[in-house]
Amino acid sequence: MTESLLQVSGLSKFFGEVPVLDRIDLSVQPGEIVMIVGPSGAGKSTLLRCINRIEHPSEGTVLIENVNMAGEMRNGKLVPDSSVTTARKRRRVGMVFQRFNLFGHLSAVDNVAIGLKRVLGVKSAEAKARADKELARVRMSPHAAKRPSQLSGGQQQRVAIARAMAMQPTLMLFDEPTSALDPELVGEVLEVIRSLAQDGMTMLVVTHEMQFARDVGTRILFMDAGRIVEDTSPETFFTNPSHSRAREFLQRSLRA
Amino acid sequence: MRGFDWAVIWYAVPYMLQGALVTIEISLCAMVVATLVGVVFGLISVSDFKPARAAIRAYVYFVRGTPTLVQVFLVYFALPRIGFELSAFWSGVVALAFNSAGFISEIVRGGLQSIDVGQTEAALAIGMTNRQSTMFILLPQSLRRITPPLTNELISLVKSSSLLSVISIAELTRSAQVIIAQTFTPFELYAALAVYYLVIISALSWLSEYIEKRLA
Ligand SMILES: Nc1ncnc2c1ncn2[C@@H]1O[C@H](COP(=O)(O)OP(=O)(O)O)[C@@H](O)[C@H]1O
Ligand SMILES: [Mg+2]
Repeated sequence: MTESLLQVSGLSKFFGEVPVLDRIDLSVQPGEIVMIVGPSGAGKSTLLRCINRIEHPSEGTVLIENVNMAGEMRNGKLVPDSSVTTARKRRRVGMVFQRFNLFGHLSAVDNVAIGLKRVLGVKSAEAKARADKELARVRMSPHAAKRPSQLSGGQQQRVAIARAMAMQPTLMLFDEPTSALDPELVGEVLEVIRSLAQDGMTMLVVTHEMQFARDVGTRILFMDAGRIVEDTSPETFFTNPSHSRAREFLQRSLRA
Repeated sequence: MRGFDWAVIWYAVPYMLQGALVTIEISLCAMVVATLVGVVFGLISVSDFKPARAAIRAYVYFVRGTPTLVQVFLVYFALPRIGFELSAFWSGVVALAFNSAGFISEIVRGGLQSIDVGQTEAALAIGMTNRQSTMFILLPQSLRRITPPLTNELISLVKSSSLLSVISIAELTRSAQVIIAQTFTPFELYAALAVYYLVIISALSWLSEYIEKRLA
């Protein structure tokens, strides 16, 4: 088998008749920082959501550390997982959402601790200690006791990152983590993502922050109409993209 | 209008207090059963377990589509047939709970489904199962939305308990009717009856407001 951390093959997703993802192939090695860019509606979110199986792919396979996210092969046939097994396989994939989605009834520290407690069965005191450590990493310790409604968007997103990281994922998925933020709050969140990247976290980041993608990414995917149109280094993508769609997209987003 | 006969109301007080006590007892028992069953059914309604979901849908369809009075008679006459010899009191509890649990399960389902889908997705993303997500994420957040309609339902349960007079339970309405049969003063006694129910239901509303504030 391959060394890939993530291996996507022939992945398609249909909503009704329309293919939103069209036979996607993608393999990601440990330590890669993959920036996914492309116009709205290209299927970027759906790709991430199919990878951690919040959305069920229509066709194709997703392997994470060589584990098939859909089920087990027996006698050459795929036996689909129960939803409980899917949940277990999902633990090692962290996800950060555009709209943060912090649990509204829990304090920042409890948002981070609840997965440790309920999913991993860590004892309350230890879960709290580990949650505190994760909050410190995103510089949210002073706000540990606050509810999401008492936090700014940037603070909420940093807690959301801590919540995902607490599960010790091998792969992190970011879906436009700064798109819902006021411009002055974007920097603090990008800074946290950058530091995770420096620590060697493997990640897929859907973003419209072109400078950030260029600085932090080790690889750029340009998606359009459900396909990966370009898959190249940041250097090549930003200086000399080979497809006209990518060139147009770049011109538009650099002007903006 | 002829004079209002206050004497008959005083005369009725001991009987009606006795009846009120039965109404309160029966309602409280039915509330507990209906709430427990209703919450469990509501949780199952949002689970992955399709056969149970379908069974609950059929049950809710029945409860919604038939008069409570008919349900009371059905439970009263059906239980002995399937081997449950219950007293009239407990038949009444079962009948009221049977009716209310259906509505409560819908209230709970609606409450759970009213929570932003992003909450479920975030719960799944950290590896929670659907059940964990429902119990630890959705249910706590929906409690505040569930409380007001749940109160309405429990109030309507208390009112429905007056229907149990038809299976000769000596509850509040029945106690008034017995005295009417003796004194032939229906207006006075039904007026008094209304006041008794108002007092019981006001107490219930007050309690629920108190709980709602605590949850806020
Ligand atoms: N649940 C859904 N039902 C129907 N269509 C959907 C659903 N989710 C996404 N789509 C459609 O799929 C396309 C791709 O969506 P998405 O993956 O969110 O794109 P992107 O994240 O690149 O903007 C869009 O046209 C969107 O309308
Ligand atoms: Mg998107």
